[in-house]
Amino acid sequence: MTSSRSTMALRWLVFALAAFLMNFPVISTLITSLKSEAEITRYPGFWIEEPTLENYREIFRMSDRFDITHYLANSLIMSLIGAGLALLLAFPAAYAMVRFEIGQKWLMPTVVNLRAIPLIIFAIPIYLMYQQVDLLDTRLGMGLILCLVNLPLVLVLLATSIAELPEEIEEAARVDGASTIQIITRIVAPISVNVIAASAVLSFIYSWNEFLFGLILTTSNAVPISVGASFFFAASGGGVRWGVAAAVMMLATLTPLVLGLLMYRQIGRSMTAGAVKG
Amino acid sequence: MPRIVKTLAAAALFAALGAAQSSAEVTVLGWPGGPEETALRAVADTYNKTAADADKVNLIFFNRDGFFDKLAADLGAGSKEFDINLLATYALGRYAPFMDPIELPAAASETFSEKVLATMQYDGKQYGVPTDLSLHFMYYRQDLIDQLLSDDAWKAKYTEIAKEKMGKDLAPKNPDEWTWDDFEATAYFFTKSINADSPTRYGAVLQMKNLLFNIMVWHSTARSSGGNWMDAEGKVTVDGPGFRTALELYKRLYDAGVTPKDSTTYEYAEANAAFGSGQAATMLQWNAAFGDLDDPAKTPAVAGKIGTVAPPAGSDGRFTHIHGLGLGINAASEHKDGAKKFLDWLATPAAMEEYALAGGSPALSATIIEKVSGKRPDLVKLGNFAGSYGFVMNGGTAAKALSVYELQAKEFTAYWTGEKSLDDALAATAKGMEDLLKQQ
Amino acid sequence: MASAADLQLRERRREGAWLIAPMTLFLLILLGFPLVLDIIYSISKVGFETLRDPEIVGIGNYGGAISDPEFWAAAWFSFRFGIIVATAQVLIGLFLAIFLAPLLDTRPWLMAILMLPMMVAPALVGLMYRLILHEFVGILPYYLYLWLGDSPSFLGAQTAFNTLVTIEILQWTPFALLILYTAYAAIPNEIREAAAIDGVRGFATIRYIDLPMLMPAIGVTYFIRFIDSFRVFDNVYTLVGPGAGGSTTTMSIYIYRAFFRVGDIGLAVAASMLLLVASFAVLYLINRLTARRKPT
Repeated sequence: MTSSRSTMALRWLVFALAAFLMNFPVISTLITSLKSEAEITRYPGFWIEEPTLENYREIFRMSDRFDITHYLANSLIMSLIGAGLALLLAFPAAYAMVRFEIGQKWLMPTVVNLRAIPLIIFAIPIYLMYQQVDLLDTRLGMGLILCLVNLPLVLVLLATSIAELPEEIEEAARVDGASTIQIITRIVAPISVNVIAASAVLSFIYSWNEFLFGLILTTSNAVPISVGASFFFAASGGGVRWGVAAAVMMLATLTPLVLGLLMYRQIGRSMTAGAVKG
Repeated sequence: MPRIVKTLAAAALFAALGAAQSSAEVTVLGWPGGPEETALRAVADTYNKTAADADKVNLIFFNRDGFFDKLAADLGAGSKEFDINLLATYALGRYAPFMDPIELPAAASETFSEKVLATMQYDGKQYGVPTDLSLHFMYYRQDLIDQLLSDDAWKAKYTEIAKEKMGKDLAPKNPDEWTWDDFEATAYFFTKSINADSPTRYGAVLQMKNLLFNIMVWHSTARSSGGNWMDAEGKVTVDGPGFRTALELYKRLYDAGVTPKDSTTYEYAEANAAFGSGQAATMLQWNAAFGDLDDPAKTPAVAGKIGTVAPPAGSDGRFTHIHGLGLGINAASEHKDGAKKFLDWLATPAAMEEYALAGGSPALSATIIEKVSGKRPDLVKLGNFAGSYGFVMNGGTAAKALSVYELQAKEFTAYWTGEKSLDDALAATAKGMEDLLKQQ
Repeated sequence: MASAADLQLRERRREGAWLIAPMTLFLLILLGFPLVLDIIYSISKVGFETLRDPEIVGIGNYGGAISDPEFWAAAWFSFRFGIIVATAQVLIGLFLAIFLAPLLDTRPWLMAILMLPMMVAPALVGLMYRLILHEFVGILPYYLYLWLGDSPSFLGAQTAFNTLVTIEILQWTPFALLILYTAYAAIPNEIREAAAIDGVRGFATIRYIDLPMLMPAIGVTYFIRFIDSFRVFDNVYTLVGPGAGGSTTTMSIYIYRAFFRVGDIGLAVAASMLLLVASFAVLYLINRLTARRKPT
């Protein structure tokens, strides 16, 4: 296709429009979060007449009632458990599946197909199970669930990547007397550091954004930010403090947004590989 | 590798332990987000100043959304996360099996009247200290109504619109004398799409989201038209004329565009935002909303211009749904002694006086209400309205009462939005209620 | 020699078993046990009071779910939602992928901006729209009133579906765009050049060269987007809940409500099991289809 100057301009226009529409919720929430309560009810438009950080300050003033740092810490810890544990479990399994051709028949398809199953199916029995073992409303309990949510993608990504590694180095190490564990930790893991990092970031973001299990399995101690953010919608009795709610949503979404901007290449590659190889 | 596993397991364990550390004291699960929370925090602080370390209370609050679902699940599972938890009149039957009945100290009868204590009784036993009473006001814009009552052009227009929309001869009246006809006519008058001169966009704000609390608000309308869940013999009577009249009123107003277009997703907060923007003339809403709406820092458009009366009268008279919120003891608690101490203290006149001054809405006996009436004149109104107009639907405390509310919310909102016919919605409600209320 | 290799293989398989053991155990506990519980509760009469001793009553719960018109309404809602959303996302994503390719080829960071919506939790997106669409404090109604003098109902029973569809499309079209752009960029230029020599140009290139080569990627994207939209919960729940008269009850919300709101655990679990069976059926079908296609 020939790209004349006007079609190029049209492309930029389409890009700008798509970028604006798709990011519209974040943009307008950011704007609202920088307005005073009075301005929001008087003039909700795009222009900010008197920019203020008051809403952000107000969040921390309310911390005895709704402790946002607590929710953020919960999300951080449970997402780290969710992403880290998924990697720890999936890495050796992926290696065994690829190199020893074990579990290819049943385990792999089961895990991969897990992605296609509505997770609500397991929410209720897991709730009941957690009650028995005191994991309800704990970060560990949430971390385990997030690990389960992440496993399919992580396994696919790791298995695909390991399958592409040349087997010769491992064979040489084996001849030198290295055990399988040593081969995995000393050889395969170091050269897989890219795919490990990419899977970790993507799992972390997915964990951070998970809502359904957070809603069902937590009440106060382990409430993640995705659930905690909705608390602020009812935080003031007389009506939603829209500005404060907007500020909370911005803080809640800051971590994945920054990660997304910094690591978009890795995330994009993981998403693509996960989709095409799964 | 094993070292990593160990470190991670340790980190996980640490996180889990860190989360469960707060069990050394008495934990109270309160009603979040409203003045109830502010007031509970105030009295808990006072209590903690003198209480022994082991008896100190620690407050927790869940999200309001799905509160009762979660509480039911936790209580049913024997959760020990909290020792004292919130109770509501309409949920008494559901929670009583998981809670311990309590004996209130003698001081409690000084603080509360028998009628108010009864909002926390089920099967003849006391299950909680009644901390707040909730009922409905009709909020209206005093400035607009004043003009309507005095401006001849407005009066004429009002009568004209009433004639045109309702076929009735009506003249503006003082809100305290309204019937639902007056409410309807006023709502039309103040709706811009009907009356281009209206200073507000909408004549009323109705909360019509598929949510049980909204049905409670609507019940004030239904009861005043003679509707009730069951008759004296326990026969389900939702299919009668009272429910029909009240359902049709909401439907008519919604279809006429008198209430905001997205009213079918409105609940407490959204309705307040609409009324608070100054674009609505009236609103049927919980009494608790008054404080914030009248606060110039929060809603400058309407603060100082708000009037409140009991909801308008129907064929059966004037009514407002009432229910109590209270605090009772979780049967699975491991700190029952400490919990009992706090509740005993809470039921004393001094504690409740502070609770009222901190923003709570307790229904107090006449002697105590006198002491706070200077600062909380609305509590006098609350007590009077509850005594004169308060009602609880027959069956409203049954074990499945919440499910009845849920069912009505689903069916009635389906009718209001045109998803179902009135007959279908009522037939489905009646059938469902027969099952739910029979099961006990 | 052969037996030595055999021995080595057996040895490795034993090692391999150890390597997959942790993950298998984890799955057995977190999936297997719940599945057993699911099956037991689904044939029991059980409430929150009797969680520990459910009373087995047979398949009545399944009958209850199947004969519940709301179950089917929820299934239909989710299905329709999934189809519409996935179709729109793939079409828009495909258009953007091809049309914006010249920009994205030279400035990859533009993709970061288009990928941002996917980083936001769907639950938060629902909450954000609760603010954006509110008639008195939202940005959108404000401008509609300013420019058109009126603003429609966004979340009423008749309009909520379209609003939710739009929101879902706006958030997840980037996914389709990403996958399809990657696939598009991977098509070797030689093929197009060869076609150009044969006189194939402009839209004909897209029609006869690009589209056929993109077909597998389109299929995969469609499937993933459909599944994700079918099980939608978060943004619908935070924005409108079950909706007026249950008009926005998705399959996931149906199960959630049956469990928490109505306390009918048996029904909720039976509905879950039906959904699970349906998922397996779909997966089986898909696997059969792709398995047949792969060798060619």
